[in-house]
Amino acid sequence: MSDRGAVFDLGYKPYDGVRNGRRGAIQAVVKEGWRKVLGLRRRARRKVLPWALLAIALIPVVIYVGVLAVTGELAENTDVFGHAQYFNLTGFIAHLFIALAAAELLVPDRVDGTMQVYASRPLRTTDYLAARAFSLASIVFGFMMVPQLLLYLGEGAVSTNGFLDHVTGNLGTLGDALAASLLYVLAYAPLAFMLAALAGKTNVAAALYLGLMAMSGPVTRGLVDNEFEIAGLFALDHHPRYLRDWLFDTSTKVPDWIPADAGYDEWVSAAVIAATAVLSAVLIVRRYRRAL
Amino acid sequence: MPDLLLETRGLTHRYGDVVALLDVDLAVPPGRVGLVGANGAGKTTFLKILLGILDPPAGSVRVLETDVRTDPLEVRERVGFMPEAACLPRDQTAADFIGYTAELAGLPPRAARQRASDVLTLTGLHEERFRPLGGFSTGMQQRAKLAQALVHDPALVLLDEPTAGLDPEGREEMLDLIVRLGGFGINVVVSSHVLPDIERTCEWVIMLDGGKVLRSGPIAGLEETGAIEVELLDDATAVAEALRTRGLLVDAEGHRMTVRPGSAALDPFAVILDALADQGAGLRRMAKRSLTLEDVFLGAETESDSRP
Repeated sequence: MSDRGAVFDLGYKPYDGVRNGRRGAIQAVVKEGWRKVLGLRRRARRKVLPWALLAIALIPVVIYVGVLAVTGELAENTDVFGHAQYFNLTGFIAHLFIALAAAELLVPDRVDGTMQVYASRPLRTTDYLAARAFSLASIVFGFMMVPQLLLYLGEGAVSTNGFLDHVTGNLGTLGDALAASLLYVLAYAPLAFMLAALAGKTNVAAALYLGLMAMSGPVTRGLVDNEFEIAGLFALDHHPRYLRDWLFDTSTKVPDWIPADAGYDEWVSAAVIAATAVLSAVLIVRRYRRAL
Repeated sequence: MPDLLLETRGLTHRYGDVVALLDVDLAVPPGRVGLVGANGAGKTTFLKILLGILDPPAGSVRVLETDVRTDPLEVRERVGFMPEAACLPRDQTAADFIGYTAELAGLPPRAARQRASDVLTLTGLHEERFRPLGGFSTGMQQRAKLAQALVHDPALVLLDEPTAGLDPEGREEMLDLIVRLGGFGINVVVSSHVLPDIERTCEWVIMLDGGKVLRSGPIAGLEETGAIEVELLDDATAVAEALRTRGLLVDAEGHRMTVRPGSAALDPFAVILDALADQGAGLRRMAKRSLTLEDVFLGAETESDSRP
């Protein structure tokens, strides 16, 4: 044989290792969902928007904690910049993130024909949808919660009472922030997911969701102001915020939510959020019934 | 290795009023199987039923001796599928996507990455593995589609029109690869309307037309008709008559004859040569008459159409 090298055909090596079946497949879809939304293992331009939105959502809290650190004062009157208000501050950014994330999770798989690959794997349609929904819900929850956590820890770090005292003494606030983040996820993510299931393009899906959120407030406000109170049920953007203020007990300070003006109690808003989530889930499953 | 790769009984599927498959009975042994038929013959419907994507209203279907209707997920763990249509995400690299499809089949992440690397080498995409799939040529996309079908080491791969859109060189390479799969112990079902591709790669053929099975059997022997075609320099009438008297069946027209062995256990070639010598006839050409798969398909189709 020549000492200049040789090409060997390594042939085919069978796989006789572990197979995790359906459970492994579902875990793979969840992880891939996170990567898709955040643009990980994708080109740099795919990372720009999600990370820019996250950065924008964090800028106010970073500046706020920075100012507190410099001045050495903790504004104990959290009315100015409290946890409840922070949700308002990041409201539009959160909607944009949810719209893009939901569209990215569902639309390309259909447009690129990748559903055919899922169809050949040990995965049911409902497994695929549940895994994608979990990816969306968890990442949106993270998006809402990370600034809240930074705010909480940042306030603790500059508190004159000491970090531990502040952190342990305000666990209720952290619990409220967690509950409010979950409410936002439950109120917005199913709608965005449902529109992404119906739309044929990612930008159309995102535009539909943003349009719905932008329009539902003014339209229902006009109807409620004209004594058509039932329209208050369709103020989709206001239900979680109304409930959030109830959670944080700030409702007396911001009495401007449409469901409240229409005379509905908080439990009605909770029921509307739940009903919207269930209706969205039914529509999504119907849409995908023959997809796998 | 299972005794039967595929087994169906009374398999029927309809799209509304349109019959896609009608009363399909099959028993197919392991190996490389060709599924042939014109567009709309029911090939893709058949593949989707094998994967458990479509649930047929009537009949039974077993793949690798597992009932697809009761256990579709178990079947999918052991089967790979290469769709005819595009199925690759444009924004992922080949390595990432093929690794992901391995995880989708239940392989742990580390093993999935290793398997992805192995099958990308096997399919000739090792050099391109870190390129986004959106930039792949048609030939490379077909290879990537095959890689995702193989990455979890299936016992059976279903290939739907694997040479569609390939240039002649790419087609040759794909067909070689399909033949090699048999050597790796992987069973293959190739769906195609390009009959020479099936002829070249498969050992068994299932012919579908209008949702019915025209024929299912080994390809070997299909081309043999037992007939001999003879072309003479002069008119063949006298030689034909001489052959008939020797017990052979002869159709003669002008200079040409088609000779079939009759009931007599004689070597027809020797008998023809004897008759030619006796008659003093000049021979231009003599050869066994063989059929292509296309001839067999068209013949079976005609036979089916003429049935009441």
